[in-house]
Amino acid sequence: MLTRRDVLQCVALGSGVIASPFSSEAMLSALQEGEKQTRKPTPPNALGPFYKRLAPVRSMLREPADPGMPLTLFGQVFDTRGDVVPSATIEVWQTNHQGYYDLDGYRYRGRQQVDNSGAYTFESVVPGHYADKRRVCQHIHYVVTAPGHKPLVTQLYFATDPVFEGDPQKNYVRDPLLQTSELIRPVMLTGDPNEVHAQVRFELCLERL
Amino acid sequence: MRLNLLALSLTCCVSIAGAAQSGRQERTFALPAQASVEAAALSRAGNLVAAICSDQVVRVWSTRSGELLRSLSESGQSPRAVEFSTDARLLAIAYQIVAYEKGAIRVFDVTSWKARYEFAAPVSPFIGFALAFSPDNRRLAFFDINDQIWELGSGSLIDISPPFGGSSSLSFSTDGRWIASADGDAHVRVYDASTGTLQSTAQGFLLEPMAVAFAPDGKSLLAGGIDQTVSVIDRKTGKILRTLPNQPGLILSLDVSHNGRQVAVLYGSGEHFVDVDHLMLWDLDKGTIVADFQKSGISITGGAFVGDHYVVAAASRNELTLWSLP
Repeated sequence: MLTRRDVLQCVALGSGVIASPFSSEAMLSALQEGEKQTRKPTPPNALGPFYKRLAPVRSMLREPADPGMPLTLFGQVFDTRGDVVPSATIEVWQTNHQGYYDLDGYRYRGRQQVDNSGAYTFESVVPGHYADKRRVCQHIHYVVTAPGHKPLVTQLYFATDPVFEGDPQKNYVRDPLLQTSELIRPVMLTGDPNEVHAQVRFELCLERL
Repeated sequence: MRLNLLALSLTCCVSIAGAAQSGRQERTFALPAQASVEAAALSRAGNLVAAICSDQVVRVWSTRSGELLRSLSESGQSPRAVEFSTDARLLAIAYQIVAYEKGAIRVFDVTSWKARYEFAAPVSPFIGFALAFSPDNRRLAFFDINDQIWELGSGSLIDISPPFGGSSSLSFSTDGRWIASADGDAHVRVYDASTGTLQSTAQGFLLEPMAVAFAPDGKSLLAGGIDQTVSVIDRKTGKILRTLPNQPGLILSLDVSHNGRQVAVLYGSGEHFVDVDHLMLWDLDKGTIVADFQKSGISITGGAFVGDHYVVAAASRNELTLWSLP
């Protein structure tokens, strides 16, 4: 396996590497292979009682006139060896912007198969807080399954959640279900000030069976 | 047709009004200041009640004398679930070990109050427990990160985990041969309790069934949950045979009477269904309401059929009260 140093040496030698048994594509591929890092499995979190079976296959979860801040969720699915998992299926569900789940239908529920690079995207809205007094933070539920891998049940949380008061590393313990700050992701705001759009990247890592 | 519907609706109203019961207050147990009951279990004979209290102590009282028999507490460990064995000689308590984010299940001898069996569970605090003793008192089924049947004598374990999401409720058949689980992936599954072999899967649910209970004959079981229906399921095929309609909230627990004629249904209501102050007794054959128990300012923390009655354990500030229905 080529290391980063091997490739740098090849580049420094310029035309002198013509005789090298490695093509540039092979070297790049080998570099990527060499840089592939082992990953820590995504921490699990509670399934919660509002999972609904047979959610539709779709990436667009919001309707055009839906209130609430539009949200793009995206990321890739890896395994603990750093390989992408193109066979993964991701299912998500969440409340509306006021903190209510749709139990009658499938609003803000969907599932999809990731693409060949393990990538996924869902278009939704930023979920609300539960209306009761518990300090349950804004969250989106995930179930990720793939043949040969342990199913992952987890939740995504938002670093901008007011409950964290700007310090999720310290204040994640305020949520009764959060055991780690690893599930709290940064939120990037884009667009015109009158039409702010949130984007959150959430990479997922599965354990092999 | 409309008249028929109106008549039916009036009949239902009369039936409910006639059946509405405030319950008969049997006994009240006082707690220390600032403490309240979070969960309670009654022995099958109704002679003992065990309560997980907010001060992290499990208190056990005699329901007949009212005497506090024992206070059980473990430093740094938070009791999460409690259950008596069928013969009331054992008391199982599931703990969350706060500092280590793990758990333990201890089974106490109710006479000596010594822990006879212990299981170290790799639980996370967000995971609930669904404790269920087998009728022969030799096995304890529970959920930590997996569903397991624990053979108390040998310590061996049988895994009966669903594909994902764990279970909210586990129930042995009265002959101990089968165990049913109400699973987070919105299925109800029945396993051979000796081998863990899957016998049947009920796929008629879209939302999670939170409660499951075998009928005494073992041929059918009841399940209910977020979809706000109580379903009667054929044990062998998993087919839903019929449902009890008009449930007033999501279903948190189910208890079937010893003769199989009634079912006690505990409801979650209000915003996000966090109010647990409503319980109904239903006649299973007729599909009618036998008793309707609802009180403001209380939280129903447990209950059990004792003889011909259903005993409700209801918590209010600094006390636990037992009510008898109907």
